Amino acid sequence: MASVVTGAQNKRPNPNSTSAAATREGDQLIITPLGAGNEVGRSCVYMSYKGKTVLFDCGIHPAYSGVAALPYFDEIDPSTIDVLLITHFHLDHAASLPYFLEKTNFRGRVFMTHSTKAIYRLLLSDYVKVSKVSVEDMLYDENDIVRSMDKIEVIDFHQTLEVNGIRFWCYTAGHVLGAAMFMVDIAGVRVLYTGDYSREEDRHLRAAEVPQFTPDICIIESTYGVQLHQPRPVREKRFTDVIHSTISQGGRVLIPAFALGRAQELLLILDEYWENHPELHNIPIYYASPLAKRCMAVYQTYINAMNDRIRTQFANSNPFDFKHISPLKSIENFDDVGPSVVMASPSGLQSGLSRQLFDKWCADKKNACVIPGYVVEGTLAKTIINEPKEVTLMNGLVAPLNMQVHYISFSAHADCAQTCGFLKELMPPHIVLVHGEANEMGRLKQKLVSQFADSNTKLYTPKNCQSVTMHFSSEKMAKVIGKLAEKVPETGESVSGLLVKKGFTYQIMAPDDLRVFSQLSTANVTQRITVPYTGAFEVIKYRLKQIYESVESPPVEETEVPTLIVHERLTIRHESDTYVVMQWSADPISDMVSDSVVAMILNIGREGPKVTPIEEKTQEEMERMARKVVHSLMVSLFGDTKFGEDGRLVITVDADVARLDIKSGEVECENQGLRERIKTAFGRMQGAIRPIPKP
Amino acid sequence: MGTSVQVTPLSGVYGENPLCYLVAIDGFNLLMDCGWNDLFDPSLLQPLSRVAKSIDAVLISHPDILHLGALPYARKHFGLSAPVYATEPVYRLGLLTMYDHYLSRRQISDFDMFTLDDIDVAFQNVIRLKYSQNYHLSENGEGIVIAPHVAGHLLGGTIWKITKDGEDVVYAVDFNHRKERHLNGTVLESFVRPAVLITDAYNALNNQVYKRQRDQEFIDAILRVLRADGTVLLPVDTAGRVLELILILEQYWAQQHLSFPIFFLTNVASSTVEYVKSFLEWMSDSIAKSFEHTRDNAFLLKYVTLIINKSDLENYAGVPKVVLTSMASLEVGFSHDIFVELATDAKNIVLFTERGQFGTLARMLQVDPPPKAVKVTMSKRVPLVGDELKAYEEEQEKIKKEEAVKKASIVKVEEVRATSSHLSESTKGDSMVIDPASATASPKASSHFRGQMDILIDGFTPPSTSVAPMFPFFENTAEWDDFGEVINPDDYVIQEEDSNHMVGNGKSLDVKPDEASVHLLLDSTPSKVVSHELTVQVKCALLYMDFEGRSDGRSVKSIISHVAPLKLVLVHGSAEATEHLKMHCAKHVCPHVYAPQIEETIDVTSDLCAYKVQLSEKLMSNVLFRKMVENEISWMDSVAEKTNEKVFTLLPPPSAPPTHKSVLVGDLKLADFKQYLSTKGVQVEFAGGALKCGEHITVRKISDSSQKGGTGPQQIVIEGPLCEDYYKIRGHLYSQFYLL
Repeated sequence: MASVVTGAQNKRPNPNSTSAAATREGDQLIITPLGAGNEVGRSCVYMSYKGKTVLFDCGIHPAYSGVAALPYFDEIDPSTIDVLLITHFHLDHAASLPYFLEKTNFRGRVFMTHSTKAIYRLLLSDYVKVSKVSVEDMLYDENDIVRSMDKIEVIDFHQTLEVNGIRFWCYTAGHVLGAAMFMVDIAGVRVLYTGDYSREEDRHLRAAEVPQFTPDICIIESTYGVQLHQPRPVREKRFTDVIHSTISQGGRVLIPAFALGRAQELLLILDEYWENHPELHNIPIYYASPLAKRCMAVYQTYINAMNDRIRTQFANSNPFDFKHISPLKSIENFDDVGPSVVMASPSGLQSGLSRQLFDKWCADKKNACVIPGYVVEGTLAKTIINEPKEVTLMNGLVAPLNMQVHYISFSAHADCAQTCGFLKELMPPHIVLVHGEANEMGRLKQKLVSQFADSNTKLYTPKNCQSVTMHFSSEKMAKVIGKLAEKVPETGESVSGLLVKKGFTYQIMAPDDLRVFSQLSTANVTQRITVPYTGAFEVIKYRLKQIYESVESPPVEETEVPTLIVHERLTIRHESDTYVVMQWSADPISDMVSDSVVAMILNIGREGPKVTPIEEKTQEEMERMARKVVHSLMVSLFGDTKFGEDGRLVITVDADVARLDIKSGEVECENQGLRERIKTAFGRMQGAIRPIPKP
Repeated sequence: MGTSVQVTPLSGVYGENPLCYLVAIDGFNLLMDCGWNDLFDPSLLQPLSRVAKSIDAVLISHPDILHLGALPYARKHFGLSAPVYATEPVYRLGLLTMYDHYLSRRQISDFDMFTLDDIDVAFQNVIRLKYSQNYHLSENGEGIVIAPHVAGHLLGGTIWKITKDGEDVVYAVDFNHRKERHLNGTVLESFVRPAVLITDAYNALNNQVYKRQRDQEFIDAILRVLRADGTVLLPVDTAGRVLELILILEQYWAQQHLSFPIFFLTNVASSTVEYVKSFLEWMSDSIAKSFEHTRDNAFLLKYVTLIINKSDLENYAGVPKVVLTSMASLEVGFSHDIFVELATDAKNIVLFTERGQFGTLARMLQVDPPPKAVKVTMSKRVPLVGDELKAYEEEQEKIKKEEAVKKASIVKVEEVRATSSHLSESTKGDSMVIDPASATASPKASSHFRGQMDILIDGFTPPSTSVAPMFPFFENTAEWDDFGEVINPDDYVIQEEDSNHMVGNGKSLDVKPDEASVHLLLDSTPSKVVSHELTVQVKCALLYMDFEGRSDGRSVKSIISHVAPLKLVLVHGSAEATEHLKMHCAKHVCPHVYAPQIEETIDVTSDLCAYKVQLSEKLMSNVLFRKMVENEISWMDSVAEKTNEKVFTLLPPPSAPPTHKSVLVGDLKLADFKQYLSTKGVQVEFAGGALKCGEHITVRKISDSSQKGGTGPQQIVIEGPLCEDYYKIRGHLYSQFYLL
C-alpha cells in the first residue's frame, strides 16, 4: 500500500526559514564520482539521499596498478553504503569489487545481472593471474574473488528489488552481455546510472532501452564526447575489407581486443564473413584467449539477455559455435607460416599475446593491425593510432612501424548522436557526465548545454571526489486508512492516530486497525491484583469518595459481590472477607489510580492518616505553583531558562531565544522548530498539571 | 471508496477442472489463466466463450495445459484477442507443451480443435515479463500494475500480484514453498495483508512425506524394477515437473554410477531441454551458483537420453530402462502406447508422479485397488492410398496455391537458417543424444526445406535489417554432397505433398523448426486414422508418488494465515477440500472467505476507506518515531487543513490535544517472554497455558485473539497478590511493548 508521493522540483531552499534545516539536510542529494570523473576507467559513483547510500560500479583504472588503480574509496565510509550496483563485467567497472567486499568494512548488498556475475568470476581470476605485479601490490587474490561470489546477489532485467527503502531495477544497456543501466528510486527521487551503454543493436546484443519513467537525475557516460560513429554496416565493411585485402596480399592481421564483450561481436562478424567467402576458408582465424573460450558457456546459456536475432539462431544451432575460428592457446602453439587473422588480448598492447604478435609483425608493411575499440590513454595501442615512425618493443629495442594500423571502432559506447537522442527522450532535469576524458566531456557538455538551452536542465561534470549537491524538497504524503478514514475531515477538525512509517511510506490509522494494515499488533494488558483487606467494604467506598470524584457502586445483583468502580477505570471487588480484588486495564493513568487506591486500602487497616480536607488554594497560589513547576521542567528540558521582565519565560537554546507566555501558552520564537518543540513540551506539562481527565 | 474487485470463476472451482477465472478491477477484465484439460473437452470452455471478447488482459501462471491449454482455441473461436502476459519460461515451455499435445493428438485422431498455426498465433502476442517486474498497464488499464513472482511448482511458474491504488490482489495457485533441485520456493509468504488473495484448495487435504524420504522411496521403487529386468514408465508432463524428475535421476545415476538407460521421450524433448538450459536465471540458487562457479549447466544431461521417436526405443526392447514420456493422462501419445506394451508384464511398473486428470486412463489406474484390465483404443495413422489420396491431393493443390501467395512474405530468414544449421550438423553426424542440437533437424526436414525454398524464391525478400541474405549457404556444395547421401529416397515422395503445409506453418519455424516440423510432416501426410479397441490386462505394478510440487495442506494453511489477506477467494480443489479450507480460513485467517461457483460473480471490493494527506514540516518536526521491526511508529495529533480539492495538509494542533487512550504496541509471545524473564532472574514456568512467574504471579494470553486475521488486540492478563514481585514483573511486561 505504497503511497509515497514526493515532489522533486524546488532546487533552492528557502533561506528565510531555518526551521526545517534539520530535515532539509536529508533532502540533499549528493553525487560524488570516486572514479571516472573526468576520466575513463575505475568507474565508481557515490550517491546519497535521505540517509540512504548507493554506490554504482566498482572498477579499476587499467593504466595504473596496485592501490593506485582503485577509485578513491577513502573519501567515503564503506560501512554506510546500503547497496552497490555493478553495471557490467568490464575491469573498469567491476574489478575493484573483490577488494571492496573483502578488504573494507562494507556491509551492504551487492547486485549485478546473472551473466555479469558468471563472467565476473572468470574475468577477475584471469586478471589476477595475468597482472604481473608484486605480491604487496596485489589488491586481492583468487580466494577473495571466490568469497566475493557468495556476497554478490543477482538481479534480472526489469526486476524490481527493494533494500532498506531503496527501490531499484535495471534496463538493458546494450554494451556487452549482461550490461545494465540502473534506475534507483529513493523516496520518489529517481536516478538513472547508465554505465556504459549503446543505443545501437548489433549482432548479438539489444540496444539500450529508454526507460519508461523520466529520472530526476541521469548519470551518463561521455566516453565518445561529440564524436559520431560510422553506421554499423560501414564499419563492418571497412573491417572486413581491411582484413580481406591484407590477407589476399599475404599479410597477417592482428586484432588486439579485450577478451570479452566486443570480441564476441567481432568473431560473429568474421565467422559470418568467412562463411560467405569460401575462398577464404583456408585462411585460419584464431582467437587467442583461453578466457574467451571459458566464457563461451556463459554466452551459450544466457541467450535471453541477447537480441532476438541470436535467440532465433540459437533455436537451430549455437551461433557461438564458430565454424571457421579456432582457439589459440599461446604463441608457442602458433604456426606462423602464412596469412592469418589473430584476435588477441590485451586490447591496449601493453603486454601478453597481442604485444608478442605485434612485436613480431610490426616491421612488415604487408601486415595490418586493426584496433577495434576504445583505447585507454597511456597504452601502446593509443600511441600507434597516430602512426609513429618507430615503436619500442618489449625487449627495449626500437623497431620501425611499417604495418598498417587501422582504427575501426566497434566499441559499443554511445556516440554523441545517441547520447543526445537518449537524453532528449528522457529529458532529465539534472545530467551528470562521467566516464569520459576531460576534453571529450567538456565538448559534450557544451553540445548538451546548447541542446537543452531552453529547458531547465542542469549539467554537471564533477571531477573525482568533487561532490554535486542537489536539493529535492520532498513533501511527505501519508495515507489515512481504515476506521480513521471513514469520515473525511473538514478544515480545522483534528486527525489523531498512529503514524506508521515503513520505508518512505506513511500511514495514519486508528490503533485498532494497526493489526489490519501492518504486521504490528496492539495489546491490552488487564491487571488483576489481590489486596489483603479485612475491614468493611463500605469503608473503602467512603474513603474513595473522599478522594475521587467518580465512584460508582453497581447493584450487587449484577456483579455477585460488592463492587466499586472508580473513574470507570478501576474495578474493586470484595471477593472474600480477607481480600479485595482490583482489576484494571493497563495505562499510565489507571496505573496511577490503582497505586493510590492500593496505598489507601493498605492504610485503612492501620491507623490511617486523617483525611484532612485540602485547603482550597487560591487561584493565585495555583498559578505560582504551576509557574514553578513549568520553570523547573523547562530548565531540565532546554537548559537556560529564565523569567523575563514581562512574566514570560525566556528560553535560550544556542543562539535562538524563545519567549513562552505561561498563561496563554503562546510562544514567540524565530526558530520554527524550537517554537514547536517548546509548544509541545508545554502542552504536555499542562496535561500533567491538570486534573485527571474523564475517560 | 477503494478499488472495485470482482471475481468470476469460468472453470475450475469445486473440482479439478482447468483453471480459468475472471478478475475485474475497476472494470478492467483480467483473465487469470486459460486452462483446458488433457481431453480438450470444448464444453468446459462454455463460460469463457461468453466473456472472451470483453477480456482486456490474460495472465498465465504455469506452462501446462491446465493453465494455458485453451489459449489457441479461445483465440480462434471466441475472439479472445487481449494481450497475454507470462514469464519467458511459461511462454516457451507452454508453447512446447501445446505442440506436444497437438502432435500427440494428431497421431491418433483427426484432431481439429486448433492447429499448430493457431498455437503460434495465440503465443505470438505473449508479453514476456521477468520475476518482480512491475509492469504498468496502459490505456483502460491505466493505474494497474502487474508483477509476476516466483511460485515454485513449475519452471517460470508465477503468482501474480495486481496492484491498483496501493491495493494488492494476489493470484496464487499451485505454488510450492519448498525449495527443490531446480526451483526456488515461492515468495508468496512475503506478501503481507493483500486486499484479496485468490488461491486454490487443491492440496488442502493432502499431506506429504518428507522430501528426502520420498525421493529415496522413488529411487528404490525404480531400482527394484530395473534390477528385476523390468521397465519403468513415468508418465510425465511435457516440460514441467519432469525437469525435477530428470534432475533426481541424473543425480542418483551419477552418485551410484548406474548404467540403466533413461529415456525422455516427447515430441519436443530435445528442444525442451535445450531451452531449459538457457533458463538458468529462473531456477534455484544452487543451480545458478554451480553454473557461476564451474559453468556446469545442470541440464547438460549425462544419463538421460532425449528421444523424439518411439522407434528409438525398439533397440532397447528387452533391456531394463526408465522411460519418461509426456501425456501423463495416458490417453494419447507415447505414454499411451508404451503403457499398452508394458502393462501385460508383471516385471514392469508404471510410476505416476502426479494425480491423473479426472476421466482419464491415468486416473482410472490410480484408484485403489487398481483395475485388473482396462479397455483402450489403439489408433494409428496410415497413409492414404488410391482414390482417397487422389481426392486429397487435388484439394491440397488448391489450398497450396492460395496459401503460397499469402504466406510467402511471412516466412523469414529463419527457415533458411534452419536449413543451414542442419547442413552443418549432418556433417558432424553425432548421435542426437550427445548433442541435442543435432537432433534438431532430420534429413526429412531439410529435404523438405529445399522443396520449400523452391516455392519461396519468388516471393521471398530478405528483411531490410539483415546484413546479407542467407542464400549463400546453398552454395556450399561440399555439404550438399554429404547431405545427399543421407537422404532417403522415400522422403522425397512425402516431401512432394508436404511442402505446402510447411509454407502454411511457416511461423512455427521461428520458434523451433525441429521435431515440430518433423512430426508435422508425419502428421500431414495424407493419411487417415485407423483404430481398434482392445482390452489390456494390467499386470504391471502401478504406483503413485506425489511429485506434483505443490505445497501440502498444512503448509498451505500456514502460508495463508501468514499472508493474512483481508479477503480470501478459494478456487480449484475438490468440493471437500474447498469446504475444508474455507472453514479453516474463516476460523483462523479472516472472516471474508469466498468460494464462488462457476459464473458466480463475487464482489471482493475492499471496504477500506482511505484518503491522502500531506504531512507538514511543522508537524513532522515534533514527531518522535520509535522503531519496531521494519516500521517506525508514533502517535500523532493534528488538525486538517484543506489545501485544495483533494488533499489535506495536516498541521500541528493549535492547543494541547486531549489525551488519548494509550496504546500498547507490540506482539507478545509467551515463550519469548519466558526466556526474557529467566534472563532477568525470575523463576518462570508454563502451567496450564499460563506463565507462572515467581511464586504467585501469572501472565496469560486470552486465546480468542490468537487468530491471525482477527482485528482485536491481544488480551493479556497479569494477576497476583499485592507484592513486590507483581510490580517487578509488570515492569518487565511493559518493557515488551511500546506505550504510545
